[in-house]
Amino acid sequence: MLILRNLLRRKVRSLLSLMGIAIGVAAIIAFNAIGQGFKRGLDQYMKESGAQMLVVNRTVQDPAFSRVSKEEQDYVRALPGVTHVSVTTFSIAAPRGLKVKSGMPALLLYGRAPGDRLLEKFRGKVRGRVIEADDEIMLGSITAENLKMGPGDTLDLFKRQFKVVGVHDSGISFERVGAIVSNRVLQEELKMGEAASILFVYLDGDWRDAKRAVEAKHPHLAAIRSEEFTVFYDQLEYIDWFVWVISLVSVLVGGLGVLNTMLMSVSERTREIGTLRAVGWSRAMVLKLILSEGTTISFFGGLVGLGAGWAGAEILIRWAPRDFLSTRYSPELFAVAMATALVIGVIGAFYPAWQASRLSPIEALKYE
Amino acid sequence: MSDAAVRTVDLAKHYEGGQIRALNGVSMEVARGEFACIMGPSGSGKSSLLHCVGALDVPTSGEVWLNGRPLAGERDLDRVRAREVGFIFQLHNLIPTLTSVENVEIPMMALAKPRAERRRRAEELLDMVGLSHRRGSIATKLSGGERQRVAIARALANEPGLILADEPTGDVDSRTGDQIMATILDARRRCGATLVVVTHNPRVSWEADRVLEMRDGLLSPVGTGAEVRQAAQ
Repeated sequence: MLILRNLLRRKVRSLLSLMGIAIGVAAIIAFNAIGQGFKRGLDQYMKESGAQMLVVNRTVQDPAFSRVSKEEQDYVRALPGVTHVSVTTFSIAAPRGLKVKSGMPALLLYGRAPGDRLLEKFRGKVRGRVIEADDEIMLGSITAENLKMGPGDTLDLFKRQFKVVGVHDSGISFERVGAIVSNRVLQEELKMGEAASILFVYLDGDWRDAKRAVEAKHPHLAAIRSEEFTVFYDQLEYIDWFVWVISLVSVLVGGLGVLNTMLMSVSERTREIGTLRAVGWSRAMVLKLILSEGTTISFFGGLVGLGAGWAGAEILIRWAPRDFLSTRYSPELFAVAMATALVIGVIGAFYPAWQASRLSPIEALKYE
Repeated sequence: MSDAAVRTVDLAKHYEGGQIRALNGVSMEVARGEFACIMGPSGSGKSSLLHCVGALDVPTSGEVWLNGRPLAGERDLDRVRAREVGFIFQLHNLIPTLTSVENVEIPMMALAKPRAERRRRAEELLDMVGLSHRRGSIATKLSGGERQRVAIARALANEPGLILADEPTGDVDSRTGDQIMATILDARRRCGATLVVVTHNPRVSWEADRVLEMRDGLLSPVGTGAEVRQAAQ
């Protein structure tokens, strides 16, 4: 009874502290959900290829800059157990290269070999058809919508003219906001010769044998399982790290709010604490009371934050850039966010609680 | 070994490194069930004596014995205050956000009594002090006299053997003060508790078994309450 009454005594102050925690928790939920959604999109993208193994250049931090030479591609193709190698390239067309007034900040371009099995997955998901020649382009559904284009239209890109032959909806955000062109187009534009960005390797043998062979012969290459893509690239882990730093800073600010509120509350209630001590309350009981008040603020702040974080993330991914981001929520994320709120609340309330518990009953009773 | 409810031996309490000497070797005994009234002007050391006797403050030197046990030997003074002492303060010191009945429950929480038992006991006590109709009222909505009666009920919550009242009528008019003292004395009679009241109001002492005067940190006997009353009239 005392806990809630004390918090309701200064409703606005308690509410502001609660909001501080809520904003921190909301940041944890929203940023993590978007970060995890981004990684899940990548994982899904790699997994849907059906390839068991990916070969990338380990000397670059970003897969967009990965280069696998023609000679290396041929070596992988010739390995025992390898049934097929899909060569892929990747680039981003800046608005300058995109001669259409679309409001799109950039266009993700995926290079594929016409007729390659990586294009097979679009069968049944494409309006029109997949690319078969170097002057053809297949647009993702969002890109087509933004560019207001469909099969039969012509798109100016890189001072070339591409015939839009199909519009696909693969369900993967990265692809829906992109477009697929022939590898040769990107290899020419990026001046990468016959090199690939990433090799998608299909195997009927043990992938570990192939991995050992590739990495032994070409130490600068990394052969990874397709589902390990987001684990392999450190910068994707940095997303998590960055997300947590931002989130924790937010929640720490919330913790400072709790600290401030509880300090003021203890100061205002010094005589009351003296009374509690006079009628027999122990230091531990006073400590527990103040800690409980801080934890209650954090608990309700956490609950509000969970809802606000979910709502915020959903609003954010619909806002900008359109449909590029997705969210992923897990029970662990909600549990960690809530636990963080409670821990921060306890830490924030601990000093005031300790201070209150150290008050001598007689000094507290005399406090003016 | 004495079986007095309260016994002090050469009790001294100094503040500010000895510059202020509130108590200068006070020795006294209050028998079980006795009503002792300690009078004296402001700053004479009355409250300091009460705080030392009630285990709220630690004396500079000397001994305090409660119910035959020295306080210096007690490991848990919080528990002593919760079980054996009931305080009534001049300014009642109720928790303003709690109702009357919740305020009375506060000392029982210190002894971890079950909620239902706390509530039943608190309601009984409020009934005893004539405030059963105000059990659900928030403390700030009560009159001065009502607040002090809630404080009296609170002091009795854990059935203490000793009630210590510090200027219990100091914050109310004389009529209300008389009512408060009547309530305290009635409660004491029903509970059989020892009562020590410090006051500068002579009317409060009229019902006392024994009246003592505190002056410059020293205690001296005055007589009975009836004698004080007679002298005043």
